[in-house]
Amino acid sequence: MGRKMIRFKINGVEKIVEVEPNKTLLWLIREELKLKGTKKACERGDCGLCTVLLNGEPVKSCLVLAVEVDGSEILTVEGLARDGELAPIQRSFIEHGALQCGFCTPAFLIVGHWLINKNPNPSREEVVEAMNGILCRCTGYKSIIDAIIDAAKNMRRA
Amino acid sequence: MLPKFEYYSPATLSEALELLERYGEDAKIIAGGTDLLVSMRDRLLKPKNLIDIKKIPDLRQIEYKEGVGITIGAAVTYKDMLEHPIMEKKYRVLCEAVRTIGDIVLRNRATLVGNICNASPAADSAPPLLILDARVRIINKNDGVREVPLERFFIGVKKTILKPTEIVKEVFIPEPPTNYYGKYVKMMRVLSEDLTVVGVAGLAYRDKGELIVRLAFSSVAPTPIRVREVEEVFKKKDMPIDKKIEEAVKISSEKVSPISDVRGSAEYRLNLVKVATTRLLKELVGVV
Repeated sequence: MGRKMIRFKINGVEKIVEVEPNKTLLWLIREELKLKGTKKACERGDCGLCTVLLNGEPVKSCLVLAVEVDGSEILTVEGLARDGELAPIQRSFIEHGALQCGFCTPAFLIVGHWLINKNPNPSREEVVEAMNGILCRCTGYKSIIDAIIDAAKNMRRA
Repeated sequence: MLPKFEYYSPATLSEALELLERYGEDAKIIAGGTDLLVSMRDRLLKPKNLIDIKKIPDLRQIEYKEGVGITIGAAVTYKDMLEHPIMEKKYRVLCEAVRTIGDIVLRNRATLVGNICNASPAADSAPPLLILDARVRIINKNDGVREVPLERFFIGVKKTILKPTEIVKEVFIPEPPTNYYGKYVKMMRVLSEDLTVVGVAGLAYRDKGELIVRLAFSSVAPTPIRVREVEEVFKKKDMPIDKKIEEAVKISSEKVSPISDVRGSAEYRLNLVKVATTRLLKELVGVV
């Protein structure tokens, strides 16, 4: 099987890895790089829990091949905090207690972070639209949506 | 875990066609991969070779020519398509249908041409493309491009006329009628991120005063279908509009052949066809 050498940046760090073509980006993140914040659940694009940013846009990492990210930049939940300082979206989730079991939280943080940076003043509908494909089986959506709207507000003030 | 395969990422269309010529049935094209990788994970497909077309600049193009139409390349994502300024202006009914596919994250990767090539009976992009007279441009290494109406592209559940050495280069949608009104009605079990139980797209416009109506369905036949018989009904003289709608709904419900599955029974689907078509047609003739 033709292993491929891929070069990419993840959370600001340059990596060169050799991968088999049938490995997904999700596998690369969790198993090769041991970044376990990104969750593995349905592995068929339904639950959204493996969402990461690929070149600044959210993707379901279970539906991206590792070989496809050659030359790309990836951001996972581990890369949100900078120099020990939490990102606005993370602070807001803590303030709102926007998690129950916490399994879906990394995906919501990533999409929330993406949304408020793209649209600093999202309406409730726009937040719901962006979160459509991420499932929280504790069904704690209200506080998650509140936390994202509030994070945007705090970012605008800062 | 995915079955094993070799991965190729050609930089040009001719390289991709060369690979396809070499591997034929042992190869699959990957664009967004949002359907393909799920099928591979389920072991429904085990291609020995994957040819990634995302790095081919020619296939990432969207080109609009005023008065002619728009061409959407095989590697164009829904996201890029929806962000193209002309799409919402001229092809709103297609945008409306595409926004019901998956979620915003999925649409960052998934492609319009992929939706067509996958040929699911539930393909949401298909009904609007059918009523907009979309054409599929197919290419192989030796014969150049052939163009086929989308209506003739689908031949069965997940089956198209595409040969193993061929690739869909792009979809062409002609300039739509001026001042048409179009709408896509998608019936699903939950408010978002679900496959279609019944989908129906319609458009209406006036041609020198005469009312023209077109309808197409998804999820109610082996392939997405355009029901052309309905179009004749609306051309009839001396028939009140209410009667025409009634007649069109009756014909539609006769032309579809829904099955029972996890998302709904055949009877339920047939009833939804009547409900959705009636609602849609009333709205269309009310606006135009």
